[in-house]
Amino acid sequence: MPTVSVQRDLLFQALGRTYTDEEFDELCFEFGLELDEITSEKDIISKEKGEEKAKGASDTVLYKIDVPANRYDLLCLEGLVRGLQVFKERINLPRYEKIIPPQGEGQKLIITEQTVQVRPHAVAAVLRNITFTKERYDSFIDLQEKLHQNICRRRALVAIGTHDLDTISGPFTFTAKPPSEIKFKPLNQSQEYTASQMMDLYRTDSHLRHYLHLIENKPLYPVIYDSNGVVLSMPPIINGDHTKISLKTRNVFIECTGTDITKAKIVLDIIVTMFSEYCEKPFSVEAAEVVYPNGKTHIYPELAYRKEKVKSELINKKVGISETPSNLAKLLTRMCLKSHVIGNGNNIEVEIPPTRADVIHACDIIEDAAIAYGYNNIQMTIPKTYTIANQLPLNKLTELLRLDLAAAGFTEALTFALCSQEDIADKLGMDISATKAVLIANPKTAEFQVARTTLLPGLLKTIAANRKMPLPLKLFEISDVVVKDPSADVGARNYRHFCAVYYNKSPGFEIIHGLLDRVMQLLEVPPNEENGYTIKATEGSAFFPGRCAEIFAKGQSIGKLGVLHPDVITKFELTMPCSALEINIEPFV
Amino acid sequence: FTEMPTNNFVESSFWNFDALFQPQQHPARDQHDTFFLQDPAEAPELPPGYTSKVKKVHSQGGYGSQGYKYDWRLEEARKNLLRTHTTSASARALYQLARQEKFSPVKYFSIDRVFRNESLDATHLAEFHQVEGVVADRGLTLGHLMGTLRQFFNKMGMEWEGVRGGAGGSPGSPLTLSLSPGISQLRFKPAYNPYTEPSMEVFSYHEGLKKWVEVGNSGVFRP
Repeated sequence: MPTVSVQRDLLFQALGRTYTDEEFDELCFEFGLELDEITSEKDIISKEKGEEKAKGASDTVLYKIDVPANRYDLLCLEGLVRGLQVFKERINLPRYEKIIPPQGEGQKLIITEQTVQVRPHAVAAVLRNITFTKERYDSFIDLQEKLHQNICRRRALVAIGTHDLDTISGPFTFTAKPPSEIKFKPLNQSQEYTASQMMDLYRTDSHLRHYLHLIENKPLYPVIYDSNGVVLSMPPIINGDHTKISLKTRNVFIECTGTDITKAKIVLDIIVTMFSEYCEKPFSVEAAEVVYPNGKTHIYPELAYRKEKVKSELINKKVGISETPSNLAKLLTRMCLKSHVIGNGNNIEVEIPPTRADVIHACDIIEDAAIAYGYNNIQMTIPKTYTIANQLPLNKLTELLRLDLAAAGFTEALTFALCSQEDIADKLGMDISATKAVLIANPKTAEFQVARTTLLPGLLKTIAANRKMPLPLKLFEISDVVVKDPSADVGARNYRHFCAVYYNKSPGFEIIHGLLDRVMQLLEVPPNEENGYTIKATEGSAFFPGRCAEIFAKGQSIGKLGVLHPDVITKFELTMPCSALEINIEPFV
Repeated sequence: FTEMPTNNFVESSFWNFDALFQPQQHPARDQHDTFFLQDPAEAPELPPGYTSKVKKVHSQGGYGSQGYKYDWRLEEARKNLLRTHTTSASARALYQLARQEKFSPVKYFSIDRVFRNESLDATHLAEFHQVEGVVADRGLTLGHLMGTLRQFFNKMGMEWEGVRGGAGGSPGSPLTLSLSPGISQLRFKPAYNPYTEPSMEVFSYHEGLKKWVEVGNSGVFRP
């Protein structure tokens, strides 16, 4: 969930009243937000770098609010305030207006065909006569960052560039050029660099180095110029210093470039709807024209208002309430979905504003109606569904065995399913390729390299962690192991294994053998070859030579038992003899 | 409630994400949160007819939805991973249900292990267990969901003292549920899941910590 940090006092000022922390928490809860943390800049620095460094930092109270991942309109103070005010019915949802300037006066962004290979899409718009204060400016920059992190997928899908329109002149060209041919002074730098030099420059920059890979190895880098050859930006890396926005900026040119046109449109809509509040004509956005390589043109921002018709009865039914259609329309309007009753009074026409790109289905509308009604006001009922319960046979068998194994004096363990390669191979004297183990591509540590193919390492590690406990240590586990299986639809499958270990001053082979006999007795498998189980002496790399047997039942080998080899015991950092038993219990289900 | 088969830790992105309407560019599908597999890296088999339906809903919409409108890629759906939630098993179970000749209402549950590629700390493990329940029937409402959840949590709170319950999506959070029954002990909060709408987080009042703690996540599956 994205977190938005807002200054508490600014927030209350915009909301028109103050709240206690509890009251605000309550408001957030109702709306679907979470007041995650109440802190201040000083606290943050204090926690990260120590009290010393925090001296002199701001004491202003900050609210960190968690926002649902699909609500791009709540990612800044302006959006939060607007959403909450409409929710509380203190304001009406503003109507966002697109102003198309007369022919020839509007801004143009021309896309050339070179961009197709690296970053094909672009949209643009203008915010006219906007007034920035320090807080609004910070919010503006923050929103871009938040959008970059979320919907833009760290700038891979869309990158946003905002520019002071008065420092440049259109029409603008979005093209792609070889890195050596792109030269400009990037934001906050003091000299010009070529694009290739910038790659090196930003390799150590903690913020920008994560985006270099998006264009680094392409033959052409995207770049936007104005009619005089001034560089606006090199998306997705950095804007030019020339066009940077200051508190005095009055006219802003916004361009969003990327690989996903739907998201680029949404991002542009969000930025302009949020900040057009501060334009001289509030909530109005000046359109810009985008010219495609094939000559077609398109006016942006779309600021589309979509209408959907929903039966009020449907909403009532799905939520479990019974409200009149006009009440439902009021509830939806509180959620920024302006609605009114139409037709014969049973249908509601809902207008979905450009800020609510997350509403893509009637069920989204239904959810908003429920939120406005208040989830905790809904009456709780039990479904009248009549079903007969069933336990999965494999799990039923597992549960039964567990009880009896505990009764036999063994203690159950629950161990990790992920382990290191050595755990299932080297430490047991086997080669990893012979184990048919499932390998993980991106483990954070060596402890999660593979999924276990045997329960034995887990139990041995458990003993190693519990050396101080009185002997003998008798542990068991019945759980899944994972093995590659080409016949499974995903290429691997789980097997339910049962494993027991006995750790003491003497190996206790007879104890483990006795346990096997007891388990077979419980499973009603007689100890004979034709229709029961037998054991045959065998060699096993993890076992002591001459003290290992393979267990056969139901026409197949189901596992092994024996005394563990001293090498194995040492590799798991144990010091006493140990015997073990491991079988696959699935044939017995 | 009938137990669902969940004995497959390895799952394809298709069942874990795509069939659950989680878009392919969603952050959770990132390297950071999911364990992707090196071997076997891709799922050899995906249900053919169903796969094309899922592709259509993501890229163009369908069943009343606008969809996400992006290019859905089959290779992405084939990527194998260690499942991040047992909802993938629920998706499989519902798919089987849909292929029945005649619809019959069902109640399913499962309790099994899931894996998330997280850094370990006091409240986070890389593998933990999830409890999952699904009810499928005609005419179900959000009120029904809330009622079922209330009964479920009441049972846990009332019958076992000091039980550790970490239901739904909260990894390894030890919780002693309050013993006193009553609606005031359970609250629902609007939430977001890619596959459910409406979605709710369930909060219970923790006597020891003297605050409301999230105990679960829930929702009505999107049409």
